[in-house]
Amino acid sequence: MSTLDAILNTVAALLCIVGAFFFFVGTVGVLRLPDFYSRTHAATKCDTVGAGSVLLGLALLQGFDPATLKLLLLAVLVLISSPTAGHALARAVFRGGLEPWTRPGHRTGGGVS
Amino acid sequence: MKRALTAAFLVLVSLPLLYAMSQLPQHGSATSPAYTHIAPRYLERGPEEAGAENVVTDVILNYRGFDTNGEVTVIFTSLAAVFAVLLAGREGDERSASEPRARTTPEVSPVASFVVRLLSPFVAIFAVYVVMNGHISPGGGFQGGTVFGALLILATVVLGKATAEKLQPARIRGLLQAAAPLTFIAVGVAGLIMFGDYLAFPKAAALAWVRTLWLIVIEIGIGVGGASIISAIFWQMGGDR
Amino acid sequence: MSQAFDLLLVGLLIACAIAVIRTKDLLGATIIFSAYSLVMCLIWLHRGAPDVAMTEAAVGAGVTTVLFLVTIGRTVRRER
Repeated sequence: MSTLDAILNTVAALLCIVGAFFFFVGTVGVLRLPDFYSRTHAATKCDTVGAGSVLLGLALLQGFDPATLKLLLLAVLVLISSPTAGHALARAVFRGGLEPWTRPGHRTGGGVS
Repeated sequence: MKRALTAAFLVLVSLPLLYAMSQLPQHGSATSPAYTHIAPRYLERGPEEAGAENVVTDVILNYRGFDTNGEVTVIFTSLAAVFAVLLAGREGDERSASEPRARTTPEVSPVASFVVRLLSPFVAIFAVYVVMNGHISPGGGFQGGTVFGALLILATVVLGKATAEKLQPARIRGLLQAAAPLTFIAVGVAGLIMFGDYLAFPKAAALAWVRTLWLIVIEIGIGVGGASIISAIFWQMGGDR
Repeated sequence: MSQAFDLLLVGLLIACAIAVIRTKDLLGATIIFSAYSLVMCLIWLHRGAPDVAMTEAAVGAGVTTVLFLVTIGRTVRRER
């Protein structure tokens, strides 16, 4: 039983670390990427993968419990709502006529700063 | 010169204020009257006396119900003020406002529309839960009403104003917006008639269910009123464009 | 530990407040203000006031932000 617990704890900790890593990467992306679309993409990544895996890890730590169900529901909610928000943002901006950034770099930082 | 006068005036005003501050019981001190008399009474006897398990609800709606009554009236008045300001500046605007609407309204993304339709029932259930369960757990009319108002705004943005407005039929919209003060006054008058005081809650232990019922009625009133007011302000500000 | 968390939150709160004042871009200021509300909400929660935290999250971070955004949409975006 204790080995199972140890494995569960390790997996949970790994998931949390992965989540924190994605949050970090997403934040760096929001700060460093050149235009609106890529920044939206970074922010959405950090919500879905980061929050999703942190919540999964916490659910594993919690074990069988009503709180686990809540955590899983939260993860599902984040997985549904965050990409939708990113999609709606990018679509609205594209309809608004913002050109995506391309490599040559003659128009750096063309996003909504 | 003016600056020096201002500084002197500020110093002059702040000195008596600082003196008064020094006479107050220390912030957070366990011996201040609020903690030795009022808080224990609320915490120990709140649930049986005021009718709700959640002491915060007891304080807001029962012990200090009069205060909250004025508060919801202020919220309603703010709606009236927003309407007055926005409608005043709108007269010549009507034609130019309706023209670009046809141009700028893009068709809504199917993804966003689907997800909003998928999540709306859950958000609505959560709002109703927060309102109805406010006397047991954290939450209540203000919070639940705000969640529902946010749902209305979301529906307006994604599904269009017409869909969202179906939830508030035009005939009773004014009544819904005034729901919070109206229910409060209704409960207050009911207390006046039945127990002799405005906003009086029955004291007898056998009437505990009446206390709880009245709390729930007020919570629902605040919730409906809050949701209507928030969405009405949003619509009035032209959020449908 | 709990105290350190409180201090961190209060520090964030102050940083957000200063950033809101110093930002000339009203859209950015609105978003920072909603972040301020969320930090405030965490503080309420940590101080054991979930009722206030719920109100702060719903009103401060949600509805107020939306109303600010609508207002910015109807007026100008830059502070003069």
